[in-house]
Parts: sequence; C-alpha cells; structure tokens
Amino acid sequence: MKGRLFSTLYMFLLSLVFTSVVSGLNVIHQDRIRLNEERKRQALVLHVLNITLEPHATDQDVSRTFSRRVRAATLGDRPLYVGLDADASTVVGYAFPVSGPGFWGPIEAMVAVDPQGQRILGIAFYRHSETPGLGGRITENWFQRQFQGRPLDMPAAGMRFFYFKPPGTASGPSELDAITGATETTKRLEKFLDEELKKTIPLLLEQKKLQRV
Amino acid sequence: MAKIRTRTFFRKGVWEENPVFRQILGICSALAVTNLMTNTLIMGLGLIFVTAMSSATVSALRKITPERTRMMVQVLIIASYVMMVDIFLKAYLPDISEALGPYVGLIITNCIIMGRCEGFARNNPVWPAFLDGVASGVGYALVLLVIATVRELLGFGTLFGMHVMPSGWVPWTIMIMAPAGFFMLALFIWVAYELEYKKTQPSHGDK
Amino acid sequence: MENPLSAPLIFFASIFTNNILLANFLGMCSFLAISREIPSAVGLGLAVTFVMTCTTALNYLVYHYLLVPFQLVHFRFIAFIVVIAAFVQLVEMVIDRYSPRLYVVLGVFLPLITVNCAILGVCLFMVIRQYNFVQSVAYGFGGGLGWLLAIVALAGIREKLKKAPIPKALEGPGISLIVAGLMALSFMAFSGMISMG
Repeated sequence: MKGRLFSTLYMFLLSLVFTSVVSGLNVIHQDRIRLNEERKRQALVLHVLNITLEPHATDQDVSRTFSRRVRAATLGDRPLYVGLDADASTVVGYAFPVSGPGFWGPIEAMVAVDPQGQRILGIAFYRHSETPGLGGRITENWFQRQFQGRPLDMPAAGMRFFYFKPPGTASGPSELDAITGATETTKRLEKFLDEELKKTIPLLLEQKKLQRV
Repeated sequence: MAKIRTRTFFRKGVWEENPVFRQILGICSALAVTNLMTNTLIMGLGLIFVTAMSSATVSALRKITPERTRMMVQVLIIASYVMMVDIFLKAYLPDISEALGPYVGLIITNCIIMGRCEGFARNNPVWPAFLDGVASGVGYALVLLVIATVRELLGFGTLFGMHVMPSGWVPWTIMIMAPAGFFMLALFIWVAYELEYKKTQPSHGDK
Repeated sequence: MENPLSAPLIFFASIFTNNILLANFLGMCSFLAISREIPSAVGLGLAVTFVMTCTTALNYLVYHYLLVPFQLVHFRFIAFIVVIAAFVQLVEMVIDRYSPRLYVVLGVFLPLITVNCAILGVCLFMVIRQYNFVQSVAYGFGGGLGWLLAIVALAGIREKLKKAPIPKALEGPGISLIVAGLMALSFMAFSGMISMG
C-alpha cells in the first residue's frame, strides 16, 4: 500500500515538474514564435509582390522593408497588403491570402495582383499536407512562376480563371501545366483558386472604386 | 581513463552497436525526413539532444523511481524533452519546424531512446548514461545524413539546398518518394555488413 | 476549415496509396522484427488496427474538447502518448481477465504497441490534416488495416525467401527493407484506382 501511494505521488510530482518546465519554456518563447510567424508572412507578402530584398537580408531587414513598402488594409474579412514603390507613394500591387482544400489537407497561399487587379504578379503556396514528389510539388518554383502575368479578366459564366492541363499541352493565357501524377491536388487547387479569386477580385475592384485602398 | 571511455562509447554508438543498422531501431521516425539534408541534420541533432538528456535524467532518478512506474516515467521524460525541442525549433528555426511537421513529435516513439533508457541508463551513473545517449544519437544521425545526401543529390540535384548538379540534370523524382528511402537504407546496411565481413567472420544470424 | 475528403476515400487511401508504413515509414521497428512468420504478423497487425482505431477516436476527443479549449495544444505529444499507453494497459487487463488464451498470443505484442510510431503518427497527422471525428476514425481504422496488410505481405514474402540464395550481408533487415521498398513501389500503383495528390 505504501509503495502504491509513493508511486502515485512520485508520478504526480514528476509530471508537475516536467510540465511546469515545458510550460515555462513555452511562455518564454511565445512572443518569439508569434514574431516568427509574423516575419514569415511579411517575407511571403514581399515575395509575391516582387519587392526584392538584398541578398542575405536579415529578419530586421524584412521587417523594415515591409513597414516601408507595405500598407495593411482589409478585403472583406481577410487581410489585404497594399504594396508601394520605393518612395511609398504609388501602389505597385495588392496581396491577399487564399486557402482551400487540397487532397490531404488545407492548402494556404498568398496571391499578389497588379494595381489594376488585371494580372497576377505572383503566387506562393506556403502550407499544405500533399504527398512529397507529387502534390507537394506545388511549392516548386517552376509551378508557382507559371502564374506570373496571367490575366484576371472575369471568366464567362461556367468558366474558370485557370485550367491545369497535362504538362506540355497548355496553351493560351488561362491554361497552366499540371503536376504529373498529382491529378487530385491540381483538380482541387484549380477549383478553390477559382472560387477564391471570384470572391476577392470583384471586392478589390469595388474597394478601389471607392478609393478605399 | 575518462578519455578512453568516451572513445569507447562513441566507437560503440557509431559503429559497433550503431542503433540503426545493428539493432534496426528507430528508423520509423527518421526515414521520412531523409529526402532533404538540412531537415535530416536538424532531426538528428534533436534526437541526439533528446536521447542524451533522457538517458541522463532516467539515470539520475534511477534510485528513487519505483519499478512499476518505470515505463510511464520514461515516456514522460522523453515526451517532455521532445516538447522542448519542438518549442526551440518553432522559436529559432521556424522554417525547419514547418518542414518537419509531425515528425518532431514522433521522436517520442523512437525506439532508440527508450532502448537506451531501458538498456543502459537505468543501471548506470549519470555521466556514462549521458555519453551513451550522445553516442547512440550521433550514430543514428550519421546514417540518416548519408542516406539524405544520396537522396537529395539525385532527387533534387542539390546538397543542403545548393545546386551542385550540372544544369542539364534531370532529378530522379523517385528518390524523394518513399520507396527510395527503403532501398537506400537497405543498400546502406548491405555495404556496412559487407565491410564488416571483410574484417571479421561474425557470428550473428537473422536478427 | 473542413477537410473535404470523404471518410470512405480516406479509409481506402490510407490502406493503399498512402499506407502509413509504406508511404510514411511509420511502425518500422515492429514491422521488421515481427515479420518472420505469418501468424505472429497477423496477431500484431490486428492488435495495432484495434488500438489505432480506438486511440484516434479517444485522442480526437482529448484534442478538441480538452487541449484546444484550455490552450494546451503544445502538450499534445504527451497527451496523445499517455492516452495510447493507458489504452494499451486497459486492453491488456481486459484480455488477461477474459481470455487468457488470447493473452498468451497477443500479450507479447501489447507493450510493443505503445511505442509503435504508427499509432502516435496517425494521431498527429489527423490533427494536422484537420479531419473531423468520422474522418479521423476512418483514417485510424484504414491506417491500421494498411499496416496489417503490409506486415502480413512482408511476412509471407519472407517465409518464401527462407530458401532463397541471398547475399550473406543482406540477410534479415537488408532484404526485408528491399522487399518493403518494392512493396512501396507497387502500392504507389494503386493511385490509378484512388488518385493521389
């Protein structure tokens, strides 16, 4: 009996010590972790807006450039990042996050469009659970670069902004190369990108008309 | 005296009793990240830290831990150190933390750590237990790095993310997918055993 | 955000195209150690399937009704492993009590299951992929069956290999890994049936 009591007590104390240490560490690092996420987002926004940083830019450089060249706004219920040129007077583009279901889990991306909302400046997929070597290749440069400069005219009823075609068969401004073997990922990507853009682009143009952004 | 002992630990951990290909332990949580060297290196370092610290802690508590709570205590200790690694990665290496995803958490069920706690730390003083943990972790990390080097070089044409292959190089996509992980580890074990047989005539059968 | 995959699709994909062992390397230690004969492979595989199905359900509840509301998400590693360990203990006691014969067959494997990374892996993946309850259980059940399928197939092949002239240095783990690699390749071919992403 005494042994059992001691065991329970011992287990309890040990758990208390270890969970306290881990919690303590977590509290100490919480701000830093949040800051990391913030920085990551900033770098992403600059990247899709094609605002280049010096090579070997430090985190501070990223933050400094971001605060000088990007103004935060909102687009309905999502954040909107207004990119400015070097003297912070003219708008060079707008960036906003989009997300939707991939094959294995949610895919999150940042999209940037030109000041008139007519072309894509850049896109970056930054979070996904797709299969490495298949759907996971959406983060590769060749795939993301294809979006640059694509027109954003509202597609006709029943049509989509972009279509993924088997590699090598894409032609015309609305067709892009799919990833070989990742049919499902590209199919879902095509669908949610289209839905998100149909939601955001008209909203952006309307906000521009009202001189809000 | 201490110097010789340290060397013995390392010779054992890295070669004679290398956890991966001698005892076929702990490859679960490891092979999945071996398609990129950077991730593998960080994973290896994390594992060295957890193995060493868990061994040392289990050893420090060895005289007061009641027998019946032994397993639970070990799980608690290992999981706590893994959570620390997870927090450190999130705070100081956010990109890698993102890339490793759930595999950091899977260090908990890495049989090597439990194996060293059970097999060595439980009956030995703190310092040897710590060294034993470091050595096992190093042995593990080295095997993974060798495999990752080949997989990244052929699968992406890069080393630590830097392009080294000539520009006409067509990456072997299979190398970054699962089957190549199995084949590479099998090849590694084959070569290691082959070298061993050249040196001695061992007496171990099918493990 | 809801994950759009239907539960049956997750179930089949986790058995075939995204087999937890052949695509994610999880549960390798026991996979290599217990795959010498078919009967023990079947026993372990069934035990893993059972524990995996139940612990995904339990851990789903723990995560969404305990960890998330109290902002203890960073404790998920320890919470999951404790739930798994406790559940295995419980199963052990129940089997011991009601079926000593089954206990003799499965008893050896039960401690192995606690530290089987496949089970913790499935619990961590379901959280990352944002599955709902039904999807999580389908994933746990499918993951377990996929693991069972893989280990039984390997055991069958290894029984056949006993008489094969294998290079001495490849015996045991080496050849098993090559077989596992070939199995992983062939399982990838299932993607024609269930497309991959």
